[in-house]
Amino acid sequence: MSVDLEPSPGSLDLEAAPRTPDWLRRIAVYREEVLLENAAAPAVPALKATAAAVIRNPWIGTPSSRDLSPEVEAIAPVLARELTGRLIATLGGTAAIEAFGKAAIVGTRGELEHAGALIHTPFFGNLMREFLEGESIICFADTRADAGETLVVPMWHKNHAATRSHYQTITARISDGPRADEIVVVAAASTGPRPHARIGDRRTDPTVSASTIAKGTK
Amino acid sequence: MNVRKIVTIVDETLTEGGRPVEPAARVAVVAAVIENPWAGQGFVENLTAGIDANASDLGALLAPRVIEALGAPVEAYGKAAIVGLDGEIEHGSALIHTLKFGNHFRDAAAAKTLLPAVEKRGPAGIVFDIPLKHFTDATIRSHHQTFEVRIPDAPHPGEIVIALAAAAQGRPQQRLAALSTEQ
Repeated sequence: MSVDLEPSPGSLDLEAAPRTPDWLRRIAVYREEVLLENAAAPAVPALKATAAAVIRNPWIGTPSSRDLSPEVEAIAPVLARELTGRLIATLGGTAAIEAFGKAAIVGTRGELEHAGALIHTPFFGNLMREFLEGESIICFADTRADAGETLVVPMWHKNHAATRSHYQTITARISDGPRADEIVVVAAASTGPRPHARIGDRRTDPTVSASTIAKGTK
Repeated sequence: MNVRKIVTIVDETLTEGGRPVEPAARVAVVAAVIENPWAGQGFVENLTAGIDANASDLGALLAPRVIEALGAPVEAYGKAAIVGLDGEIEHGSALIHTLKFGNHFRDAAAAKTLLPAVEKRGPAGIVFDIPLKHFTDATIRSHHQTFEVRIPDAPHPGEIVIALAAAAQGRPQQRLAALSTEQ
């Protein structure tokens, strides 16, 4: 599959892929809406969600020297499209999304490198950033585990990664995945900050160092 | 009714047993994490006031959301009440085992059968399975299925998770003979 990374998402031709690739078993979308936190409604209400795909690990039985790029180029763009499309739909549109993150869980017959291959290359990351109209590096988590493992997925602001109010996480879990020969790939996003974000920002921080603490000036 | 959080899950199975499922099998769950209406009151003999104050509102909150999340006609459905550690399972049962709660879903889905249910007590993050059965005939074997749910930080000890589940079809690759073939 050839993928042109320059044009807008609408012109990305992924139609050559079969509608249901045989390596794609399950897609789960999980969304949370916080109405009350510590008995008070958030000043800025937000939705956050994960979209997770369970796929067959295409590298089972291959040696640690194997070039992973052919499968990355075939699979990762499809995952980026399917997962971000579901995030956009469940969170109320691309413009509503303010923070993002990504993750992968590789089953026990795979290498952690297999998980990384599907989320850490431009064939996933650039496309996810483009589809969600962000500019930041996308923060991530990965692990190797049996089916049903939970993974806490970090998120930060899609345009200004250092925006402290948007540092947040969401927990992903697939009940029956990944099997030993599968990989779970997760895209996560949020429409706003933490429910009661109030720990300042770089602009408001005092100067803090070991010496200011020792002097008791902060 | 104090609702802390609403969780929506939409699950699609695209292949099963190594074969495509077309169209993809869809299951949706919507759960409300609420304050246990009887928290801190000791043993409440008569639960009617709490039921009257909450059960219908919960049904009205969850039924339209789960139908919208499914995005397809409902063919099977179920419900759940997961009580935090300080409550009684009876508190969860009180909220879901009443027509005031279930009729919102039944009427909206043009369903006829009783909703199968799970009632359970546990800590935040407990895994629970919601049973689903066919919406007009609970003996239709193809639609017997369960869906596993976990909400990472609920229920707290003084909370209850109330959930509805809907499926657009029976099990993926269902191929058991009808119950009538054994009679």
